[in-house]
Amino acid sequence: MPIQLTSQAYCKMLLHAAKYPHCAVNGLLVAEKTKDKKKDSHSEPVLCVDCVPLFHGTLALAPMLEVALTLIDTWCKENNYVIAGYYQANERTKDSRLNQVAEKVAARISENFSESAIVMVDSSRLTMSCFEPIVLIYDHHENKWKSREVTVDSFEDWSEAQKITSALLENRCYENLIDFDNHLDDLRNDWTNPVINKSVLDLC
Amino acid sequence: MPLIPWLGLDHICFKVTLFSTEMRDKLRKWREDNFRNSEQIVDVGEELISEHGSKLGDDIWIIYEQVMIAALDCSRDDLALTCLQELRKQFPDSHRVKRLSGMRLEALERYDEANKHYDAILQEDPTNTAARKRKISILKAQGKSTEAIRELNEYLEQFVGDQEAWHELSELYINEHDYGKAAFCLEELMMTNPHNHLYCEQYAEVKYTQGGLENLELSRKYFAQALRLNNRNMRALFGLYMSASHIAASPKVSAKVKKDNMKYASWAASQINRAYKLAGRGTKENKCSVKAVEEMLESMQITMS
Repeated sequence: MPIQLTSQAYCKMLLHAAKYPHCAVNGLLVAEKTKDKKKDSHSEPVLCVDCVPLFHGTLALAPMLEVALTLIDTWCKENNYVIAGYYQANERTKDSRLNQVAEKVAARISENFSESAIVMVDSSRLTMSCFEPIVLIYDHHENKWKSREVTVDSFEDWSEAQKITSALLENRCYENLIDFDNHLDDLRNDWTNPVINKSVLDLC
Repeated sequence: MPLIPWLGLDHICFKVTLFSTEMRDKLRKWREDNFRNSEQIVDVGEELISEHGSKLGDDIWIIYEQVMIAALDCSRDDLALTCLQELRKQFPDSHRVKRLSGMRLEALERYDEANKHYDAILQEDPTNTAARKRKISILKAQGKSTEAIRELNEYLEQFVGDQEAWHELSELYINEHDYGKAAFCLEELMMTNPHNHLYCEQYAEVKYTQGGLENLELSRKYFAQALRLNNRNMRALFGLYMSASHIAASPKVSAKVKKDNMKYASWAASQINRAYKLAGRGTKENKCSVKAVEEMLESMQITMS
């Protein structure tokens, strides 16, 4: 089942990468929980409505990741969401390869959501105008992560996503993006990013 | 590009006119705290230099250096070059300035030329640590982690007190998932900085990641130590909770160990709840965080028993 990204999910991923250009960043993608999951609905895309930025810098340590996964899972249950995917941007812009950290987190997510996806952000193509999608999407097939072609169909509305992301990058909104690391530094920092979510809504 | 209406976000960069003294103070604070807020440094620094350069006295040189490095971070080669040229004029034979030239070449990804600059410095001064560290940074930028780790180890044999280097090495090892060696680096740092809660907490995280009962117990001890050193370190508090919970849930521990760890976990849970309640005071949004944390802690209690 392929995933689709909403403008909110896409722009927050890019804002996270833009806020910490010198670090690796990662986060979770969440989708709305559907009531009946028919076995033959394999062609229905999973719409990732939002993302939760997690960490910047060192991604390969376990304890805070476990805390984040548990906490965000609880939050998802309250909002009828499910953790459906994982995104990561590597430290070096030239390196957009899927690595062990991504595989490990995605494996954890797959325990609860079998069609989980990995989204790698290709920072080398990050521009203000966002003229092309800069993500690589991977699905799990036969024990391997295989990349799928990213087209406008990978987005709920690509031109909207492009317009919103570009506007938020220009206005340096990434300075206000909160990730889970920021939250651990100061609990008042809200990792659901209500302020940015509102800006996205205003721009829609 | 159509005009986007002002989004009205609170902390977005307003173009505030600061007095030159305020700008100077900001730059100094960022320098002292080693912040990498390069866009802000460029914003403030560029204005300070162009509008108030004459008022800065000798401070201007260190400001040129700070702004130059920030400019490299923001791909502002024009600004970086301006600062560099001023510094070259003032300090023509300086190794410190030569290193900045090297950094500019690194930013332009002209690594071979940058290496030549650093080798030239090292020819004249083999003890120049800055040049050696820049060479290691180049290896890192090129993705040559194994070589970077090897060079950094060699460097530390000579300069065993360089904390920045030990910390960098611990991060390189963590990225390679070599947690044992990362722990060793953090042990060095803890020995020389016994009051630093961050090193304790990071060491605990590495031990936790290594896994196994022994490492979990060590991690719990060091999370606790970090908390003793700074009782507001949330990572240490969460870490204490997680490690104690896992130990209590392990089938391999004695009844006493299980009981003790449930006590620690329970204490940590109450402290976490308290911290969230304090943080959530007055804000509607944070109520969801408080609730989520409470539920998370509840659900983990069940798995422990």
